[in-house]
Amino acid sequence: MPNMSSATESRQNKYLGALYTLWAACFVLFLLAPFFVGRYYVGYILIIFLYCILSIGYNIASGFCGIIHFATASLYAGGAYTAAILYTEWGLPFALSAILGALVAGIMSFIISFSAYKVHGNYLVLVSFGLLEVVTQILHGSSFTGGAAGYSMARWTFFGEPVNMTVKYYVVFAILVIAFIVQRNIAKSQWGRDFLAMKDNEFAAAGVGINFRKVRIIGFFISAVISGLAGAMYAAYAGYISPDSFGFPLSILILLMVMAGGSGTLSGPVVGAFVISLVPEVFNDQPALKVIFYGLMLIVITQVMPTGIVGKIKEKFREVDANRHIRGVQPETDIDFAKYAKKRDRASEDILVVKGLTKQYWGLTAVSDLDLTVRRGTIHALIGPNGAGKSTLVNCITGLVKPTRGEVWFNGENITGMEPYHLAKKGMTRTYQHVLLFNSMPVIDNVAAGARLDKHYGIFHALFQTRKKRRMDREAYLEAHECLQLLGIADKANDIPESLSAGQQKLLEIGRALIAKPDLLLLDEPCAGLTDSETEQFADLIRKIRDQGISILLIEHHMNLVMEVSDRITVIDHGVKIAEGTPEQVANDPVVRRAYLGE
Amino acid sequence: MQTVIFGLAYGAMYSLMALAIGIVFSTTRIINFAYASVVMTGAMVAYWCIGVYKLPYLAGLAAGIGFNIILCVLLYKLCVEKLGNLHVNLGWIITLFGAALIIDNLALMAFGTQSNPFPFLFGGKRIDLFGANILLHEIFIILIAAVIGLSYQMMCSRTKIGRALRAVSHNPQTAQLMGINSTFIIILSFALAGVVSAIAGCLIAPYTYASYTMTASIGLKGFAAALIGGLGDTKGAFIGGITLGLTEQLLTVLGVSPSLLGSFSFIIMILVIIFLPGGS
Repeated sequence: MPNMSSATESRQNKYLGALYTLWAACFVLFLLAPFFVGRYYVGYILIIFLYCILSIGYNIASGFCGIIHFATASLYAGGAYTAAILYTEWGLPFALSAILGALVAGIMSFIISFSAYKVHGNYLVLVSFGLLEVVTQILHGSSFTGGAAGYSMARWTFFGEPVNMTVKYYVVFAILVIAFIVQRNIAKSQWGRDFLAMKDNEFAAAGVGINFRKVRIIGFFISAVISGLAGAMYAAYAGYISPDSFGFPLSILILLMVMAGGSGTLSGPVVGAFVISLVPEVFNDQPALKVIFYGLMLIVITQVMPTGIVGKIKEKFREVDANRHIRGVQPETDIDFAKYAKKRDRASEDILVVKGLTKQYWGLTAVSDLDLTVRRGTIHALIGPNGAGKSTLVNCITGLVKPTRGEVWFNGENITGMEPYHLAKKGMTRTYQHVLLFNSMPVIDNVAAGARLDKHYGIFHALFQTRKKRRMDREAYLEAHECLQLLGIADKANDIPESLSAGQQKLLEIGRALIAKPDLLLLDEPCAGLTDSETEQFADLIRKIRDQGISILLIEHHMNLVMEVSDRITVIDHGVKIAEGTPEQVANDPVVRRAYLGE
Repeated sequence: MQTVIFGLAYGAMYSLMALAIGIVFSTTRIINFAYASVVMTGAMVAYWCIGVYKLPYLAGLAAGIGFNIILCVLLYKLCVEKLGNLHVNLGWIITLFGAALIIDNLALMAFGTQSNPFPFLFGGKRIDLFGANILLHEIFIILIAAVIGLSYQMMCSRTKIGRALRAVSHNPQTAQLMGINSTFIIILSFALAGVVSAIAGCLIAPYTYASYTMTASIGLKGFAAALIGGLGDTKGAFIGGITLGLTEQLLTVLGVSPSLLGSFSFIIMILVIIFLPGGS
């Protein structure tokens, strides 16, 4: 069975052909525009281009990295004022001034992205608000920016020749094209997938080894640099800048453009910028009505059409996004789990050792002086009644919470208090009690995210689409596809995870953890909510994985499953270990029978 | 002394605004970004009744409160309710800003651009207190804010509704299962915030004048006060508001220019968010 019908394939080709033709037509149209429209319209289109660039920048932050903020205008101002002042006062070449302006905007972005270390959502919005207000005050209050009266930039000249409107138009057009390509190349790379993963769920992102703090700072920096560059070009275009051009209304306008066009889509920002720019024409003599209309659009679009115009259109043409790396790949017949056994240094005989671990919450002891040893290549089950401290123990092992006392050793290395994203690198991956998948990515990308540590490349590889990048991506997708075949859900490769059944989602999560070739796989209630036959399949799957030498720590309530597959079982109750041994020993232990089975 | 009373009066106004933010936050975990516009509409409606139709002060205040209750419930119904889980779907940030734009500009169309004088309490009567000549209005701002804060606190800790409020704040779904009508409690919190906003608006308006932009800058300070004190906590709202009010007055006395002062509260706010996310 081919994994993608040829009908779908030809539809994809047809749609893509149409799409590329459309883009090429737009490109040629705007390339030739200065020759047949008047000077006024050249300036008009140039401003829309600037909005497009700003929207692309904002989309990288909000649509991909998940940072909703209102500092766009500040970043724009940072770029504009820096470029204008450097060019006018210091006499630097304009190109250099513009680049430095963009960098200043990039540095301003750190105020928000470093805040995101600590806080999210509403707080981040307020930080951006604060930044916006502070920047406005600085622009108004200081002498070197010309205060409220504004700042006049020296005329932009190139080797003594003043640069005319047409040339400015082409420069801005070129920057727009570059910004678009930057956005596309990032979105279609592992970096873009890391952004989306981080936006969907930080825990799960850390679980596949994404250092989401670092990734967010980089993502937002790129976004800010693009906005700053737009600002520098605005200064050059207008020749005169004043604080009024960089206030809250601009930020909200850009937000609206991205929301209307389609947040998180590639062409959304551009489409949105053009559509929204044409709105004012309708309300020419009614500025208040125009803003009311903007407000209405924000309310309606967010609730009715959260993916915007482009997202809405894309729903009709889903095939366009079907993964092309796995298109037409014939299903393998002789694949097994052997490839997920990675030969790492065996620094210790026991894969995981927990020594005297204690975790207290405000004086309440959740786990008390607990020892646990998982032997290499075994399935070790951790059971206990609700509230016994299993989750706390797991969270301590995986670095989500820091233990009050005690140590965790993994593969002969002390990993106590290590950040979760390090653990994936060291060979410990996990699934979650409540499935945590990346819902804005297709199924195959979810699995590919698990393979990202082996297939890693720098951001410059992504920006320039190097050979290494293309090879790594292809390999990651092919591996992910194989993994899906192994799990029996390859036909869902291009679907979104939410459309899968509960059992398939659990399988997908295991696939994502497995493809990272772990030494220890931590399964947190993998069979909760599954039918008996699905549980049966899981038992089989877990044993197959163990047989490749991958150790498994299994937290599960399903006693039949635990008794059937486990090599060893540890029973905890009230944060204390009450029994340990083989399934037979534990089943016959009187303490366990009393505490756990209620006899 | 003048400075202290002034600082306390301003602080009390910030506190009331912070309380309006906090009440909504405590049940929904969202910040009502449109609240500054709601403060404005409360004052504008009251001005309309008092200044134009020559109704008594209290009637104007009541009209403002009534209008705000309706407006806040509408805000919830139209901008928040449909979004589902507000932790996952951050769309409310955008819809509430959209609502703020609409309210502000409708007010602009309805009331025009001019700034209208708004009466002080007791007709701007001045008294001498502790050797300072102050408006009776300022004393009453402080008193009214204290009464509102205390009664809200009492309501939360003593009454059945208060318990329901706290339960919803903890987990709306679980509260619903326990027989609490979560939606009603959330709507109630929006309505209460509307009431507090209207009162705050009427107390602020004599200083800023009643106009559609009256809360443009002072409204942001409400956010700062709420954040500094810790969101969703009644005591925090007052600590944050009073701290901000007193510090500002102190800096003014020390000769810091007003534009720097504007930035000041935000710099503090950013620092608090970064270093003390729970508020001080």
